[in-house]
Amino acid sequence: MLNKTIAIALLYALLSTPALAQNYMVSVNGIVCEFCAYGVGKKIRKLPFIDRSQYDEGVKVDIENQRVFVAVRDDALFDQSALFEAIESGGYDPIDIRQITNKEPSTEAIE
Amino acid sequence: MKYTFVVLLITLVSNAYAHQPVMDMAPRWNNGYGVQTRVEHANSETTTWLEGVYTFKPSLRMTLKVPHSNGKTGDAILAMPIKRYKNVGAFTSNWGLTPSVRMPTGGGSKWDAGLSLSYSAESRKVYTLYDLYTIGDTTGIDINAGLVHADGKGSSWFTLWDITAKDSDSGQHLLTGPVLVYFKRNIIVRGEYKFEAYDDDTQWDGNYLSIGIGMVF
Repeated sequence: MLNKTIAIALLYALLSTPALAQNYMVSVNGIVCEFCAYGVGKKIRKLPFIDRSQYDEGVKVDIENQRVFVAVRDDALFDQSALFEAIESGGYDPIDIRQITNKEPSTEAIE
Repeated sequence: MKYTFVVLLITLVSNAYAHQPVMDMAPRWNNGYGVQTRVEHANSETTTWLEGVYTFKPSLRMTLKVPHSNGKTGDAILAMPIKRYKNVGAFTSNWGLTPSVRMPTGGGSKWDAGLSLSYSAESRKVYTLYDLYTIGDTTGIDINAGLVHADGKGSSWFTLWDITAKDSDSGQHLLTGPVLVYFKRNIIVRGEYKFEAYDDDTQWDGNYLSIGIGMVF
């Protein structure tokens, strides 16, 4: 009986542990200036799955390496094509996307 | 003769800025818009410009520039920049073709058509802009080139050098000088001072100063 109780408690604890958010890193051609970053961020933040509690309201643009980091809400469905469309409507060309698990990635951590 | 002089003067002043408001680049996103006000001093006259830009999509925009001087509204310039962008790695560039029309909103009845061909390129450290244009009897070229200093936190400085050359029925002149631009998120501040390097123009006299602030949304 005790073992069963412990097993149920462990299972409950495991299932109730919040999942680590799956954020994304997008390589974007041509995104080299702060004004570029502002426009792309503005478009991405309008997407419904963005977690605005992370990065700078859900988006972090690394103009040194032409990368855009996007935070996705745990309870939302990520839509890659919508993300790419948002970047394109911001005036730039997304070329590659990679899933990352760390919420505040450094450049080294995601390589 | 007096009428011709006034038309020529307006032509020169109106074309002191051939390229689009807000640094020829912003807003670059679909359905973005921007406003800018600029005070310029040239030919012993101070003119305040109210300028706006609407970006339908990065390749198609509309701009409007309205001058005010001595309490009067001058002739407004409506233009439609058409741009073709190329993004490669840490480099972005565009070719622009801009038809424009100067409307007689300041009185009179004369309409003028213009056309500009421009190229601009930007990397993490360098920015350049070349703008060749013609309107009425005036043909000019404007060149900006210099360095970009971004802090990675939403703001950047552009320290540029500008060369402006014009040729018209009244002669030729060439101005050159520094341009300083500051960006902070959606705000841009731009100041420039151009010295008269060459003047064989009966309708131009002295140096040029322009200070402006703009916002994009």
